[in-house]
Amino acid sequence: MKTRLGSGLLARHAGFLAGVFLFGSLLPAQILNPAKLLAPPTDTWPTYNGDYSGRRFSTLKQINSHNIDSLAVSWMYRINVGAMRGVGQVEIKSTPLQVNGVLYFTVPDNVWAVDARTGEEIWHYNWVDHGGHLLGNRGVGMYGNWLYFLSPDGWFISLDAKDGKERWKVHVADAKLQYFTTMAPLVIRNHVIVGVGGDAMDVPGYLESRDPETGALQWRWNTEPRPGEPGAETWPDKGAMEHGGGMTWLPGTYDPELNLLFWGTGNPNPVYAGQGRKGSNLWTCSIVALNPDTGKLVWYFQASPHDTHDLDDVETPVLFDGEFDGKPRKMLAQAARNGFFFVLDRTNGKNLVSKPYIGTNWAEGIAPSGEPIPNPKKDPQPDGALLNMPPGGGTNWFPPSFNPETGLFYVNAHEGYSLAYLTDTDEKPQGYGGSGENLFSHSVLKALDYRTGEARWTHAFPGKGWAQSGILNTAGKLMFSGDPSGNLIAWDPASGRILWHFHVGSSVSNGPMTYTLGGRQYLIVGAGDTLYAFALAGSTLPPSSRTQPPATAGSEAGALAGSRAEKSAAQ
Amino acid sequence: MRLLFFGAILSLALAAQTQAPKQSRVERGREFLGLPPPPDQAAAERGAKLFAQNCAFCHGQKATGAEGPNLIRSSVVLHDEKGELIGPVVLNGRPDKGMPAFSSMTPAQLYDIAEFLHARVQDAANRSSYKLQNIVTGDSKAGEAFFNAHCTKCHSATGDLAHVGSKYEPSELQALFLYPDKAAPPVTMTVTLPNGQVIKGTLKRHDDFNISMVDNSGTFHSWPDDAVQYKIEDPLAGHRELLAIYTDADMHNVLAYLVTLK
Repeated sequence: MKTRLGSGLLARHAGFLAGVFLFGSLLPAQILNPAKLLAPPTDTWPTYNGDYSGRRFSTLKQINSHNIDSLAVSWMYRINVGAMRGVGQVEIKSTPLQVNGVLYFTVPDNVWAVDARTGEEIWHYNWVDHGGHLLGNRGVGMYGNWLYFLSPDGWFISLDAKDGKERWKVHVADAKLQYFTTMAPLVIRNHVIVGVGGDAMDVPGYLESRDPETGALQWRWNTEPRPGEPGAETWPDKGAMEHGGGMTWLPGTYDPELNLLFWGTGNPNPVYAGQGRKGSNLWTCSIVALNPDTGKLVWYFQASPHDTHDLDDVETPVLFDGEFDGKPRKMLAQAARNGFFFVLDRTNGKNLVSKPYIGTNWAEGIAPSGEPIPNPKKDPQPDGALLNMPPGGGTNWFPPSFNPETGLFYVNAHEGYSLAYLTDTDEKPQGYGGSGENLFSHSVLKALDYRTGEARWTHAFPGKGWAQSGILNTAGKLMFSGDPSGNLIAWDPASGRILWHFHVGSSVSNGPMTYTLGGRQYLIVGAGDTLYAFALAGSTLPPSSRTQPPATAGSEAGALAGSRAEKSAAQ
Repeated sequence: MRLLFFGAILSLALAAQTQAPKQSRVERGREFLGLPPPPDQAAAERGAKLFAQNCAFCHGQKATGAEGPNLIRSSVVLHDEKGELIGPVVLNGRPDKGMPAFSSMTPAQLYDIAEFLHARVQDAANRSSYKLQNIVTGDSKAGEAFFNAHCTKCHSATGDLAHVGSKYEPSELQALFLYPDKAAPPVTMTVTLPNGQVIKGTLKRHDDFNISMVDNSGTFHSWPDDAVQYKIEDPLAGHRELLAIYTDADMHNVLAYLVTLK
């Protein structure tokens, strides 16, 4: 992987790497070696998406299309938190991190560390919230020995990864204003990137970079411009801009060579009632590229100008390189909630592909910039407008995946029909100001060719309901995801043929992830309140990996031994 | 005014799946969103009158702002619980910003005004409380023509749909005629076993691997999906075909016709 790093990146990391390599053995051991953040996820899964690219592609292939029939449950860990306020039984929506043999995962108000080999609990951290929306939590971020967690009531909390003890907390979002925070913080060098959610009360969105040692603010990028700034012309007035929404609630991606942070922004506010915010409402419903050291905007692409359908554009901006029109390109692809598949040149934001992957009758065309043009007749109406997409759009937070071996982008999509109503016809509407009502919808898994956006294959699930399952591709020529009927399924990613399934009981509710530990490849899947670990049945493993090798010598293993021996109940 | 509306059928996609049964839809929405406790309605009604007399001139009749700021989005209002923050502002005014003092207000009146503002906040923030406006805007004659052209193969205005306009509010009827999965008969199926035996019944569950049914005698069966031949008869198939055909005008016209079937 290091061979892929540009000279600029090496220079930028030079001091840092020198510290790691020259003095690593003298300094107190760090549980997460920062170099792991720049490597493909194999023995470590150090970020929400496994690496900065958002591809969720693993190079591991011990579990592969030839031996998949031997895949079996290795252990299960059930969270016992009971029903939670307003949401009932919570689901594990987080993608666990795996660092030095420990898995770290979350649900709202809760963080767990469990042994990645056995599922045995090492510690459990419980936060007592004072309000906030318990909709979900995507997981933790990690820097050295420290974990970062966001609470429903807007606290940015740092824990000691060793024992789950709270180090400090700072308030980053005000739950009284209806902000809430759910995302897995993203660590880039000494920046912890933190986004916010909440569109019930017309508050403005922002993205922050925080100091990993103290939580202090390093920079804040506002989703809306201030009066007089570029972009202000896309809002009618200061008041609309100051209450314009645009939340930043899913982790973005990062290109170390370009030193660009890519982020999707949410819907504008008021959500369904656009009459008080005429204009395209920058930078809501957009993909933006920011400098992670300064928070300055480098380019943007607006997926839904003047959105009136709650079509947050926060879905993962996935990064990959490849040929496009015969030329090598650095690309960014997104299956947007608004039903379009977008491919951009990530060096400059130039649009390469805008292609619907489900019905998109909210748009009446595509502008030369590649940005869809909304159809005002399909704006929410007092008597209803009929949309050929479900009320939540074509997909949502659950992670997609890109497989560089097939060149296909995979998304768990929702197709259907809905009604868009405007309920607040006041010239100054508030809050949602309308609603989307589901008529008919079903789940469809799509494999999209990045060159055209055309589906190479489609799998329509026969079961009722929605799969809200993330996707994982591996070099074992396997793709894992869930269906609406409680099955974990492995597909051949090239053909879409189902190779294996296991009935986990409730729909896969997170993004599956994988790692090797002690020579054995594990697949981890969250389904409802249970985390499942799968591995090949022992007898099918090569003899060398059947016996547990001793822990490798060195600082990381030493730190691990300490942390795992210490079983504390940090509740 | 959007006050409590218990019959609303607007969908709140996620909350609906996880509710406790006895809560109202509005209450469920409040809890789902983590909104503060419901305001004191009697106080809020008294506060509405006080607000109209004393505050609306600057802050607007709906408290969404005029010359003075929008109070529904005010940080003071959103942080206030029982008037402890709002009260002093009203009582003392904000002379630096041109707001006069209302020094004769009693503590009870200040509380009432605060509760009125909290009710307005909940009306805006709790989308489960939103109420549809008039949705019967179409041409019933054109709707009848559409109905006769597309719907009479399965339905009759004097048969199964007689009096449908009296049974349902228009706001319910629109989603219901477009896709009546809440009112549809069960999905039936016919299974042919390898030995030729035929079993008829109701589809229970179907995924890529297994299919199950309850037969007409009430007995449960399940098979691997590829072990039997089956035919599923979904009574909603015709509705799904029509969803791709309707224009918004067709939809409004059909509703206008159906509401006449009293």
